[in-house]
Amino acid sequence: MQPFSYIRPATPQEAVGAFAQAGEGARFIAGGTTLYDLMKLNIERPRHLIDVSAIEGFNRIETDGDRLRFEANAAMSAVATDPVVARDYPVLAESLWKAASQQLRNMATVGGNLLQRTRCMYFRNGAGGIYPCNKREPGSGCAAIGGLDRGQAVLGTSDTCTAVSPGDWPVALVAMDASIEVLGPNGTRSMPVADLYRLPDTTPHVEFTLDPGEMITAIVVPKTLAGRRSTYHKIRDRESYAFALTSAAVALEMNDDRVERARIALGGVATRPWRAPEAEEVLAGQRLTPELALAAGRAAFRDARPGRHNGFKVELGARTIADALRIAADRSRT
Amino acid sequence: MSATPFADRARIDAFDKVRGATAYAADVPLPGMLHAILVPSRVAKGHLATLPVEDAMRVPGVVRVLTPDDFPPPPEPVRFPNADAPPTLHREIAFRGQPVALVVAETLEAAMEGAEHVVPTYEEQTFAATKRSALAVREEARPTVFGDAEAALARANATVDVEYESPTQHHNPIELISTTAVWAEGRLTIYEGTQFASGLKEVVARILRIDPGIVDVKSPTVGGAFGQKGWVQQQTAIVARAAMLTGRPVKLVTPRGQIFHLAKFRPNSTHRIRLGADADGRMIAAHYVSDQQQSRGGTFPSNYHAGPSRLYGIQNYYGGAVDYRIDTQPPGHMRAPHEHPACFAFECAVDELAYRIGADPVEFRIANDTRVDPQNGRALSSRYLNECLSRGAQRFGWERRTPEPGSMRASDGSLVGWGVASGTYPALVTATVASLRISADGTTRFVTTHHEFGQGIKTAIAAVLLDGLEIDPTRLDIVLGDTTAAPQQITAGSWGTFSVVPTAALAVERMRAALSELLGGRQVSGNIHQQLAAIRRPYLTVDVSQLGPGQEAAALERLRRGQYAIAGPTFPEFTSMSYIAHFIEVRVEPTTRRIRMPRVVSVADCGRVVSPRTAASQVRGGVIWAFGASLREATEVDPRYGGFLNNDLADYVVPVNADIGEIEVDFINEPDLLANSVGVKGLGEVAMVGASAAIANAIFHATGKRLRELPIRIEHLL
Ligand SMILES: Cc1cc2nc3c(=O)[nH]c(=O)nc-3n(C[C@H](O)[C@H](O)[C@H](O)COP(=O)(O)OP(=O)(O)OC[C@H]3O[C@@H](n4cnc5c(N)ncnc54)[C@H](O)[C@@H]3O)c2cc1C
Ligand code: SF4
Repeated sequence: MQPFSYIRPATPQEAVGAFAQAGEGARFIAGGTTLYDLMKLNIERPRHLIDVSAIEGFNRIETDGDRLRFEANAAMSAVATDPVVARDYPVLAESLWKAASQQLRNMATVGGNLLQRTRCMYFRNGAGGIYPCNKREPGSGCAAIGGLDRGQAVLGTSDTCTAVSPGDWPVALVAMDASIEVLGPNGTRSMPVADLYRLPDTTPHVEFTLDPGEMITAIVVPKTLAGRRSTYHKIRDRESYAFALTSAAVALEMNDDRVERARIALGGVATRPWRAPEAEEVLAGQRLTPELALAAGRAAFRDARPGRHNGFKVELGARTIADALRIAADRSRT
Repeated sequence: MSATPFADRARIDAFDKVRGATAYAADVPLPGMLHAILVPSRVAKGHLATLPVEDAMRVPGVVRVLTPDDFPPPPEPVRFPNADAPPTLHREIAFRGQPVALVVAETLEAAMEGAEHVVPTYEEQTFAATKRSALAVREEARPTVFGDAEAALARANATVDVEYESPTQHHNPIELISTTAVWAEGRLTIYEGTQFASGLKEVVARILRIDPGIVDVKSPTVGGAFGQKGWVQQQTAIVARAAMLTGRPVKLVTPRGQIFHLAKFRPNSTHRIRLGADADGRMIAAHYVSDQQQSRGGTFPSNYHAGPSRLYGIQNYYGGAVDYRIDTQPPGHMRAPHEHPACFAFECAVDELAYRIGADPVEFRIANDTRVDPQNGRALSSRYLNECLSRGAQRFGWERRTPEPGSMRASDGSLVGWGVASGTYPALVTATVASLRISADGTTRFVTTHHEFGQGIKTAIAAVLLDGLEIDPTRLDIVLGDTTAAPQQITAGSWGTFSVVPTAALAVERMRAALSELLGGRQVSGNIHQQLAAIRRPYLTVDVSQLGPGQEAAALERLRRGQYAIAGPTFPEFTSMSYIAHFIEVRVEPTTRRIRMPRVVSVADCGRVVSPRTAASQVRGGVIWAFGASLREATEVDPRYGGFLNNDLADYVVPVNADIGEIEVDFINEPDLLANSVGVKGLGEVAMVGASAAIANAIFHATGKRLRELPIRIEHLL
């Protein structure tokens, strides 16, 4: 609980201007499903909230032409059920509807989703100084390393942080080579979604590459026929309403039973949405057999560094990729 | 009372519940209410060095910060009726999350902000976080012994020697823990979702050193009890004190995260079981030793073996129990507190033994039936476990099962496993009083001992009243859990129905007699309200009380003083137990090994079923609890820090709807007329017992893997 100011700008330009003016401690807020949660846990302590949810016409879903474009405020549920997305890009639709719950998906935006923070239990449950956490308090240490690390990442970790990047949607976007449009104090720019995320390295508290005051305005996905042969396969501790233990976003370009090109990205196992070029290479130009699919899965985890209780994610992750490849390949081409 | 089956009736409170009209304790609106938030200890053990409250007092809206100085010096430990009263605010820190202060404010927001500004300093001490910690203190309870288990094991034809483990688990009902207290006109009124309003009244009075006679407790409807609210909770006296000091109503609703350290929980327990069978496939020996996580001063019993000792006719038995005392809040009762972990372990061991001797798990159990209580040779008042097993097997289609592990497959390639297990739970009863008033104005009021928490006790009472009396069902008011209306007894251990239903039946009988006396042979038409109106009698009241079979009359006096007044399962002439058999299908995905439970058949012997709808609902709920306990839930402790790490619903994984397949419920529905006049035993607890074993046994049948530690997770089958 900390006092904060709250405004509802009418346009993206106004929002960015308001952010610049507010200075220290300003945050955009959209659906609020992450930010309010973290405020209640005393992890985020903003001084100014700039609520972008009231911006008129900032939630359009465009599916004409050679790309899909989702404005930042489009609800997760709206994008998941868009007929073109659902038909031609199951990987995108599934990554959304397998996340959170219907109530949350109705509130949460596809823009805010990209910036959710880790679910590492030591990060979330330790405010007040109970558990050291470099992400929450830089330099304090990492309780997860050597601790209860069943949920932690095995790829992209560092000696300072092993926290999983939790989102499903970003994983699907990274597989589909999506990019974001950004509006900031110095105008607009665009960047691949993959470049939005930083590895923890020695500064795990710096998670994104956005500059202060930069706002995501849209997500753009280049259209590809591979969309139809795609899936987001998510394995979790219960049948719904849980973050991924392991997940795989897969889209295939096939020539008969031969894989021309595979796109594979992983969730639940890495410190950022994880593209798996090693797995993609194993498949390129090959006939897709169950053995090859598993070999591709295993290749993705070649550099895995498991901790004490999360070693199973290496095998489970490989099998998740293999199953995802089978599901995607079984989907019709037209 | 005739033994014809009771009709299926809707829940008496169903309409209110779906409209959100049912009032829970925290819903009581009171003028001038203050809001409170607890400040939990950050350290796991130690001493409060400083507790500055000035910063909190500066937060606009904060009215008062209660600290240990605001409480009477700790009295002699209040052991009442047979457990320690929870501490109030203390400088000695016994566990992480222990409340050290209470911030009271005009608004909830101010209370929260104030609580953040109370930042105590501590002198920390080393602590034991788990059973395995070096500082854990081992304490052995006296064993239960009959026959000679060691000797019988030595001569057995086949034996198993296995160890099972059940994790720490926390209740997570939707209703958060809350207390609202009002101090006005010399009386203290407490609104709280509790299973024991009268006990709460007595204990809070003793802690605060006031006369219990000026304390009233109201527990309107509890949103999930299951033992979490069975004993006086930690926050109650603290909030009551705040109301006394501020002179205003004070309400505390604890955030979910704090509940993990404030409330009772199911302790981690380990169960080593040795079983022996003779050449005929009869179990002749059981040697069962369990240990559990216990707090330093906790009194939660450690006798897990008590239930399994009565499940079959095993003549030679050793049941031992060990506590490991560590630095945690006291563990306590959580649905089927001992019987669930015990029957998980025991019924898995029985399955292992059946496989060892090549017997069908259902037939093996049926062959080990008993007609007497093996502990003391007394007759069983009724026992239809074999009927539960054979009816369940038939409904489930057990004859189509191939016994070889891994031998059954679904069309999608999933491994299919079919498992069975039995469960038992003692049939218990309490002294109970009731008052029934039927009025000429069309209303009926039935006031009695015991509490409603969704189990359907009001619906069961209504069934008896409406079957026996011609009254207006829409204007029937059943008042429970209110110390101003009737002395209250802890409602737990599945004894609610056994206690109140026969009492309601007695009230019906007396009412009919009183009415016929009043009418004196006159023929008056209409229902009872109309009859009373016709003879110009505003109302007619009968007061009744009832004891369990052979229960001494002093129990009624104990009931009036808010003390335990419970009897069973051994009564002078017999032992009474409820029974259940669960048949469960699991499917294990071939690659990623997700475990699913598409189908369950559960058949219970709970005596006569008074309320078919709520009874079936209890069984479905019990099976879902067991599913959660077996495949989902564990509270995690990082031994370096103590306390519970995954203290929210995102990380404490409970089952969701999508997890649960078809659950078919059936009842033997044979009245147990030795137990009481209506023939009811208990159901709420036994519903869960054994279902975890059926799941684990099904997983073995599907995969050939014996998984002996709960929860079973995806990684255990990879
Ligand atoms: C119980 C629960 C379960 C969940 N389960 C899942 C799951 O299984 N899988 C999954 O992927 N997710 C899950 N989520 C996370 C959920 O998807 C995110 O909370 C949601 O997508 C965030 O969107 P929002 O609009 O509510 O963001 P907000 O909470 O409003 O904002 C999130 C962050 O983004 C920033 N922000 C918002 N909009 C913009 C913008 N336009 N430009 C720049 N910055 C912006 C905010 O400043 C904030 O830092 C779960 C969440 C909860 C609470
Ligand atoms: S893994 Fe990262 S987020 Fe988790 S405790 Fe360590 S530093 Fe904090």
